[in-house]
Amino acid sequence: MSLLSVENLQVHYLTGAGPVRAVDGATFAVAAGSILGLVGESGCGKSTLGRAIMGVLPDAGRIAGGSVVFEGRDLVALTESQRREIRWRRLSFIPQTAMNALDPVQRLRAQMLEVLMERGGLARAAANDRAAELFRMVGLDPVRLADYPHQFSGGMRQRASIALALALNPALVIADEPVTALDVIVQRQVLDVMRDLQSRLNLAMILVTHDMAVVAYACDRVAVMYAGIVVESGPVREVLERPLHPYTMGLTHAFPDVHGETGELVPIEGSPPNLLHPPTGCRFAARCPFAQTRCHEQAPPAVTEGEHMVACWRADEAPALRKAAASPATWAAVVPA
Amino acid sequence: MSAVIEARGLGKTFRTGRRTVHAVQDVSLSVSAGEALGIVGESGCGKTTTARMLLRLEEPTAGQVLFEGEDITHRRAAALLPFRARAQLVFQNPFDALNPRFTIRRTLAEPLRNFGIPEAEHAARIDAVMGRVRLTPASAWLDRFPHELSGGQLQRVVLARALIPGPRLIVADEPVSMLDVSVRAGILNLLRAARDELGLAAIYISHDLALIRYVCERTVVMYLGRIVEEGPTAELIAAPRHPYTRALVAAVPVPRVDQDRAALPIRGSLSDSPLGGTGCAFRDRCPHAMPRCEAEAPALREAGQARRVACHLEEGAPS
Repeated sequence: MSLLSVENLQVHYLTGAGPVRAVDGATFAVAAGSILGLVGESGCGKSTLGRAIMGVLPDAGRIAGGSVVFEGRDLVALTESQRREIRWRRLSFIPQTAMNALDPVQRLRAQMLEVLMERGGLARAAANDRAAELFRMVGLDPVRLADYPHQFSGGMRQRASIALALALNPALVIADEPVTALDVIVQRQVLDVMRDLQSRLNLAMILVTHDMAVVAYACDRVAVMYAGIVVESGPVREVLERPLHPYTMGLTHAFPDVHGETGELVPIEGSPPNLLHPPTGCRFAARCPFAQTRCHEQAPPAVTEGEHMVACWRADEAPALRKAAASPATWAAVVPA
Repeated sequence: MSAVIEARGLGKTFRTGRRTVHAVQDVSLSVSAGEALGIVGESGCGKTTTARMLLRLEEPTAGQVLFEGEDITHRRAAALLPFRARAQLVFQNPFDALNPRFTIRRTLAEPLRNFGIPEAEHAARIDAVMGRVRLTPASAWLDRFPHELSGGQLQRVVLARALIPGPRLIVADEPVSMLDVSVRAGILNLLRAARDELGLAAIYISHDLALIRYVCERTVVMYLGRIVEEGPTAELIAAPRHPYTRALVAAVPVPRVDQDRAALPIRGSLSDSPLGGTGCAFRDRCPHAMPRCEAEAPALREAGQARRVACHLEEGAPS
């Protein structure tokens, strides 16, 4: 059974003009001890999805439907105090900028002790030992617990916020773009810390990112989001090497590979639809070079073969579409409204 | 080919309280018309300060900047105006590079007015540059405000504003890092096309070697204020010579499942490195450091065809 299983989740932001359907039917699962990459562009709903699972949506956001079953319990049905019991202990969160996780006016030790003693119920001596252990676990010298966050480099801050998230031994950590703001070398080192913790602690993670290369490096499975919907998901190798959705195909050609060919890169023209009034058909149709009449009229159902899920009317033709998607001319022909 | 921009022994020293920080030291480089040079390194390596000195947004404390052969190192602000029209910066963040109260038309007319281009030429120039950045028909865009445009469209306007005075040099500092992956390729393709079609000299600054490889034939790698390696980009990536370049290349994530996940050949982090003194600035993180690296800083020297490396390991190595 999965550690986390998200079924048809709907998250709306209430605005004066009506609800914005930021997440509009997301379905995926995370197995114990595995890393799921949640990938997509800004505004596709991936961060909202992470926050909804964590139960930390902004004021205007609310879960409008679906379920989030974690360790056998539906988080959507829990009261706030029941959720608080789970947060940190079973489920924790690493925000995009470590500065948001860390209190700038408190030394790291005080922040660690607060979580370990108040939330975890540890005595001071045990909490001090655990704080040092956590720092070592993420590759930081425990001496630095005496420092303030501003004395840390960006990579060190991100390590400290990982240590904080792991304080009470959670089973699942949701990390929102944890390496995006970091330089490549530091980025790689932080990803290596995360992979190491995954295997040593049997930790599961949801890694929210816009970068397919980060997914390829660190994740076991991937869910590709577009305009509030998971359009494709499966094992990373399967999805990267044999993508079934044209959006995934586009993403794999949109950015340079440092060792690959230097041929023309392929942009996906246009931008995602307004989720206040999402289109009736497939949400990617306006930017898709393979869209047909049916795609504009009717939303494609999610179809699963083996472990590979896709929501595309033309998934049967994927091998031919993949070949066409590699050519810049294919995408240049799309003129989004 | 004569250089559009050239730096000779460029340096910048900041004094903060009692400490002196050598942000850039002894940087020499040149870029010809139609050529693109990449400057690669981590935050704090001096790449942005170097670019700001080349554009004379910052006055160097050592060395010289030559633009089309003329020394502009210490030229006063008022006398720099003609240079400003010919050397343009493409801003990193399109979301705050543009005045939100200006229409696109006014955004593009502003530099023309500043550089004294006759009013009669404005409309034709604006139309031409909008075509170059593929915002067509121009009439559909010119009366809009920045908030009505997507990130990719805004970055096209930012590029148009840089191109409209007719520069010979453009400097782009992380030109796509704030944009979504799906639109980055479009901007990079436009930058490549503008350089090729207009014969511009271009300098790209990034921490991302994959991006640099796509747009630059030649690359310099900077570490703590100094150039540690220079060479044709493809060769530099295929066969890096400096231990830092090797780590940088190994760290670039690749979108493939089968890849090398071995630990990086580098130790510690940037903040562990010595801030001054003698010796190689990379020695504390270098897996090959030897006593000599502590005693003496390696000079940047020729290491084969069009390549330069600053590393003691390279001395005596076949070039």
